[in-house]
Amino acid sequence: MPPGQLMKLLASVLWLCAVAAAVTVPTGPNAGDPAPDFRLPDQNGAWQTLHSILGPKGALLVFYRSADW
Amino acid sequence: MEESADRIHAQGLGLAAISYDSPEVLKQFAARAHITFPLLSDADSAVIRRYAILNDTVAKGTPQYGIPYPGTYVLDARGVVTGKFFEDDYRVRDTPASMLLRQFGLMPAVHQSLDAKHLKLGASASDDAVRSGQRITLAVEIDLPNRVHVYAPGVEGYIPVALSLTKTPAFQPDPAVFPPSKSMTLAVIHETVPVYEGRFRVIETITIGNAQELQPLLDTDRNLTIEGAFRYQACDDRECFIPETVPLKWTVKVLPFDRTRVPTEIQKKGGDR
Repeated sequence: MPPGQLMKLLASVLWLCAVAAAVTVPTGPNAGDPAPDFRLPDQNGAWQTLHSILGPKGALLVFYRSADW
Repeated sequence: MEESADRIHAQGLGLAAISYDSPEVLKQFAARAHITFPLLSDADSAVIRRYAILNDTVAKGTPQYGIPYPGTYVLDARGVVTGKFFEDDYRVRDTPASMLLRQFGLMPAVHQSLDAKHLKLGASASDDAVRSGQRITLAVEIDLPNRVHVYAPGVEGYIPVALSLTKTPAFQPDPAVFPPSKSMTLAVIHETVPVYEGRFRVIETITIGNAQELQPLLDTDRNLTIEGAFRYQACDDRECFIPETVPLKWTVKVLPFDRTRVPTEIQKKGGDR
């Protein structure tokens, strides 16, 4: 394959990768990473931290858009 | 979510949900939806940013600015991430029960036994009530008697177990998920083949379609019927039986959206953050 064609091919492969990456949303820490700590008020005004929400086996930590729309 | 909170706590797991809403909005929502687990207010989206999941496609200054890409992390007792459930489409998410089934293999509450030859077959679903865009997980439990096996996907020359769902605009199926198989050496013909013995479970997660497409497919009680089939060929140590196809059916209730909002005074306003 001539070098020009190879470059074109590479460019289109890179472009495809960029497109694929663009539709994949960021998802933050991965399996094996420690979840970042926080300190936030809950609906009753009580302060909660990462450790206050953990049960003996761990926790489900849900991020959602809004409780209002 | 609240209905699932008891099941989650029963597993020794904590549960908390974070959004950019103010504590007042969360207080009203918790009261209206009878939610008792912690709803955390990340009003300046600092924690959402710390987790690197701020939705950066939302324009600054709009009321929506500061929302995350929605998703759920599964954490262990030390706070280390062991799993996560995120989707490209913000309208789509796994139900808590679906996450528990996929992450921890937790048996769903709804279970039916089916007639099948050579083995016991059960069908269950993570949820009996769903909303548009939710992802629920269907499970087929197989219980084989002693000395009976079925073939796992990838086998050559035999019929592997297969779960198929009848296509409909009501949902989008993920590929079925099979557990790891065992290798069995068939002494007579000196062949090694992938098989299942004893008990195993095949699961398939589906995404419930949009309300418009669903509406004509619901019955008068808003029930959606999901149909499918489980195919297998059972063999014992002497012979292989005729392949079987067992029809499967799940019924889930499709709930309408809750469109109630908090009073205008405490709704999120756009600003420069």
